[in-house]
Amino acid sequence: MPSATLLGQALISGVLAGGLYGLLAMGLSLSWGLLRLVNLSHFALAFLSAYIVYELGTTYHVEPWWSAAMVVPLMFLIGAGQHWLFDRFKVNELASLLITFSFAVIVEVAIQLYWTADFRRYETEYATRSIKAGPFYIPVMELVLCIVAGLIAWGTWLWLRRTYVGKALRAAAEDAEIAAAYGVDHKKLAYLLSGIGAAYAGIAGTFIALIATLAPAQIWAYLGVVFAVVIIGRLGNPLGALAAGMLIGASESIAMAVLSPAWAPVVSFSVLIVILLWDPDWL
Amino acid sequence: MVDRRGAWRRRGVLAAMVGGTATLAASSILRAAPSGKPVRVGGTLSLTGFLAQTAAIHKIASEIMVEEINGRNGFLGRPVEYVLLDDQSKPEVARSLYEKLITVDKVDLIQGPYATAPILAAMGVAQRYGKVMVQSSMGIPKLQTYDRAFPATPFGPEPNVTYPNVILDAMAKFPTPPKSMVILTSKFPSAQFMALGMKEQAGKRGVKVPLYLEYESGTRDFGAIAARVKEANADFLWVGSLGLESNLLLEALRKLDYTPKNSFHLYPAPGPLALSPDGDKALCSTFLEPDEPFMSRPGMKRIAQEFKEKATKANLPYTTIDAQACGMVAEWQILEAGVNGAGSLDDEKIAAWLKKSKVETIYGSTRFDGPYNHGDAAQLIKQVQDKKWKVVWPPEFAAPGVKLIAS
Amino acid sequence: MNAARDLPRLGAAIAIGVLAFLPMARLPAFYDSFLYMVFFWVSLSTSWALLSGFAGYFSLGHAAFFGTGLYATAVLTTKFGWPFLPTLPVAAAIPALLAVGIGAIVFRLRRLRGELFALLTLAVTFVIATIILNTPIDGGGGIFMSAVPLPAITATPNGTIYVLGFVLCVATLAIAWWVAHSRLGMGLFAIHDDEDVAEAKGVPTLRYKLIAFALSAAVAGAVGGVHAMYVGFITVSGTFELTVPLYVILMSVLGGSRSWFGPAIGATVITALLYAFISGGEAMVGRAIVSVILISAILWLPDGAVPAARKWLAKHRRASAKQHVAEVAPVVPSVPPVADTVLLQARGVTKRFGGLQALGGVDLDVREGEILGLVGPNGSGKTTLINVISGFYPLTSGSVTVAGVEVGNLPAHEIARRGVARTYQIPRPFVNMTVLENVVLAATFGSLSRPAAEIRDEARHWIAFTGLSGKEDVLPAGLNLHERKFLELARALAAKPRLLLLDEVLSGLNPAEVDNAIRLVRAIRAQGATIVFVEHLMRAVVELSDRVAVLNEGKLFALGKPREVMRDPRVVSIYLGKAYAA
Repeated sequence: MPSATLLGQALISGVLAGGLYGLLAMGLSLSWGLLRLVNLSHFALAFLSAYIVYELGTTYHVEPWWSAAMVVPLMFLIGAGQHWLFDRFKVNELASLLITFSFAVIVEVAIQLYWTADFRRYETEYATRSIKAGPFYIPVMELVLCIVAGLIAWGTWLWLRRTYVGKALRAAAEDAEIAAAYGVDHKKLAYLLSGIGAAYAGIAGTFIALIATLAPAQIWAYLGVVFAVVIIGRLGNPLGALAAGMLIGASESIAMAVLSPAWAPVVSFSVLIVILLWDPDWL
Repeated sequence: MVDRRGAWRRRGVLAAMVGGTATLAASSILRAAPSGKPVRVGGTLSLTGFLAQTAAIHKIASEIMVEEINGRNGFLGRPVEYVLLDDQSKPEVARSLYEKLITVDKVDLIQGPYATAPILAAMGVAQRYGKVMVQSSMGIPKLQTYDRAFPATPFGPEPNVTYPNVILDAMAKFPTPPKSMVILTSKFPSAQFMALGMKEQAGKRGVKVPLYLEYESGTRDFGAIAARVKEANADFLWVGSLGLESNLLLEALRKLDYTPKNSFHLYPAPGPLALSPDGDKALCSTFLEPDEPFMSRPGMKRIAQEFKEKATKANLPYTTIDAQACGMVAEWQILEAGVNGAGSLDDEKIAAWLKKSKVETIYGSTRFDGPYNHGDAAQLIKQVQDKKWKVVWPPEFAAPGVKLIAS
Repeated sequence: MNAARDLPRLGAAIAIGVLAFLPMARLPAFYDSFLYMVFFWVSLSTSWALLSGFAGYFSLGHAAFFGTGLYATAVLTTKFGWPFLPTLPVAAAIPALLAVGIGAIVFRLRRLRGELFALLTLAVTFVIATIILNTPIDGGGGIFMSAVPLPAITATPNGTIYVLGFVLCVATLAIAWWVAHSRLGMGLFAIHDDEDVAEAKGVPTLRYKLIAFALSAAVAGAVGGVHAMYVGFITVSGTFELTVPLYVILMSVLGGSRSWFGPAIGATVITALLYAFISGGEAMVGRAIVSVILISAILWLPDGAVPAARKWLAKHRRASAKQHVAEVAPVVPSVPPVADTVLLQARGVTKRFGGLQALGGVDLDVREGEILGLVGPNGSGKTTLINVISGFYPLTSGSVTVAGVEVGNLPAHEIARRGVARTYQIPRPFVNMTVLENVVLAATFGSLSRPAAEIRDEARHWIAFTGLSGKEDVLPAGLNLHERKFLELARALAAKPRLLLLDEVLSGLNPAEVDNAIRLVRAIRAQGATIVFVEHLMRAVVELSDRVAVLNEGKLFALGKPREVMRDPRVVSIYLGKAYAA
């Protein structure tokens, strides 16, 4: 039986890793839940952001925070631009899957053409620091990521629940015609939301640049797990996405601490299946 | 009497003239550039997809070798043309593309792809058409069941037995020989194969293995695994890693404020590991590094230099030649030797010649008469020193003044 | 010779003939391989569409079935020494059993539709992949198939695999065609549009979903079994990666997932595109070009290729010859005597939702041939009672008997087959089916089983009866509210029910339309149906009903002749504040 320290450390590590899943899931969740569009290109946009942060950091020595300040608005514009396309062509849910997937491939190719398929790592001296809390180590960068993700998730959730704009978006998601009858300008709001989702991908990408090693094929590494996170966390619920990400990260990590690590996916997804069958409402 | 001497003198001059002309003619034939219809050599590489990272290196190495070969005599005096297709990192695509190369494009010869699964898929095709296939990246020799497949990389027929013993030999020479070893491995066939071998051989030589863990090859988060490694705190850490896994693991360990006493990594991406702040003193498997005594091998200096140039031009972040690229270099050297040695483009003749000959490649003298056409094992150990890879074991392959630094 | 129908069939026959004998042409082996890959993807995407395209149950787990079949063949041949061909039925059967097992649990749970079903299938894929990776089935070392002998169906191994792939492809398309043109398919399409309504119309939704899922899984498994021989070296990561589920979705979407032929078109196009840019120099740019082509294609054809083609053909086809007009049944205004037999008997019907009690023990007899009005304030339980009788909700306690048969806990489709039909307050037609198809479905799954031609005539009859003649080929989106309500009626009638439950059929209609509807309800009763109708419009209640039942707070409050009941002061008092213009 593994020690308490080991389990605790695994739990910390897993929850923090799950923060990244949640952050990646947020844009997709909002887009799918409120716009009925499955936007797979968020993965590619996150990595594009990561590569840009890497490039600015290594070639021009720009601090990642400044890079983020440039990249995130750029992503917002790309997201809004994507929505123009969806709106103009009246794209439905299934078609959006195909279009955003193709878009992600195009971004992947662009990344590979410019930066090659070889691994790239943005080395910073703070990327692997940890805080020691008792017997446990808490990696700083991952912690910052989770805090940022938490703030974003909570802020978005409040915005959707409390403000007029947020409620209007949710109304439009349920029934656009009726919402329009009440003066809700669905179109403008949709552009806003699409841009925000992509901006979140940009934020995720900034952290990815700091934490992970980059390769174009990595874009697809998160697809399966983030899909699961989006659905467990309920479409359109940013706090749910974050919580689900941490739940999956934690369950995988604890499974790896107790069993042979290769068995971890069975544990986390079996737990998921059981939860779904038993009663998903409390999730 | 004067006549006879004159006659001999005349014959002598004539002979000299004929001989001289012949010599001149012969050398001009030898020095002439290869000409005529190109010999087309077909092959695939994973230029897109998750194996693309290494394929780029193979592509550059191939370009260098084709230029070199054409700078000499080509194949039997004809220029070589490399027909390269993209198998998208998928074995079924590799299979169909080799069929295309052989049956539609009707290439004269083929060259192997990269990585075990595409190689095995291509091997099936090669077998059906009797083509010679040289490959350099299949880590499980016993799967190479096709008689006309030839390994360019000297794994030896049983690397899971021979190589762990090389590692254990090195360990035995440490100031404090390690008595315990943690073994981690990815569940990727070639890595797992070696890990099981390491476990078995360690047991035979009295090294304890308190922790043996297998992880999925897509694992992203090594936090829990790192915690277990730290807790086991063995004298030696052996990781059957591929690509980035070593970096991820070492970073995860550093976040826990733990530096493993000695760590060995099987098939990581060499560039990132050497440059990583966690990679210092890490050990790794290799067959060659751009250093002495390898640099003295014929052509090595020039090839290393050209690789650096081409890699820089291709915007690759790591431009030092490494074992992957050298594998491809050796593939071409073997094919060239086979064709020119057999004096023919006929696969049967080439295969027969290779089986009974020794080919001088950058890996040294390679023979193909062992089990699965594998010759002697020549797997070495390298170590990161000052952010560069240096061969450290066996000592006769270390550059002058380079020693294995153990902790 | 009917050109529209026979030309495609002739074309298909020729194509099958040519493709079947292609290996004999001794073309270079590459073409056999390329076509095999086309057959491979056609089979996989078509089988995916059987459940996910037809019935709308989006599955992300096709790789689970494909991989299970692939490993079944791999393990049986390499570890147990089976010859290759006998492993294929096993490779089909195991995934089918897996699908039935999953479906038996999951399809019963109403909340697990939509995205949750997708997630569940994805999770199943990960679980199966990990189990295979960590047990001796694969164990991590991969399985090498080279030693397994391939039966010599044709002269070359490539030709043999080609033939196997081709046979599977033709079989899959045949299955898809058969499903799409059968009752099963009709039911699946209805489930796609509105599963609850389909169930209420008599479609055995659970059974149909299981069949579609099992067929889908069986085909995927068989394809996997053949593919094991093609790939040669099998690894878990190569088999269970997200490529398979993602690509089948993309191919089906491109071609049109609701048609039996759509995924095949999408698969062929995408596979051809993937091979178009294989040269080493163009590989990366080629991928980008393929993506741009796909984006353009789907923007231009948002529902997929087949629906777009159908629309185009419909525009260009000459107006079809005048269809033979079904006889309109004469409307018999006389009121037949109300029999004394009790058709519907409710005893102590209680329905609770968590802590909320919607029905608190309702006792009610409905006599055969009568029109019973069901009234009460909002929230009194009228619609709940209808839902319970028709089987949408199970009873918490009590009993409901129709014609002497206890129906209280039967699934809704069984109740529908026993002669109970209902309409919905807000019309819920099947949005992707035409008016005629909507009514045909109700007639097909209604209480009697009849041959197809008779059903079509019957459907036209009811369409004419409700005044919708001429609109047979219109989609519900093209109808106004009045017409949609009458479509509800036509559907209900086409099932030839003994008991018809009408839920506020008059709401939203103008006075002239209301009169029309009243006449129609009378005509329906004259056909022999017993009618229970929920209504707020008092004028209609008083005009139509033989008796009126008043519900209040989930209990039967009053029952009797219309004028008596409506003048009862107690009844008036529960309506205080809710005055209706009569």
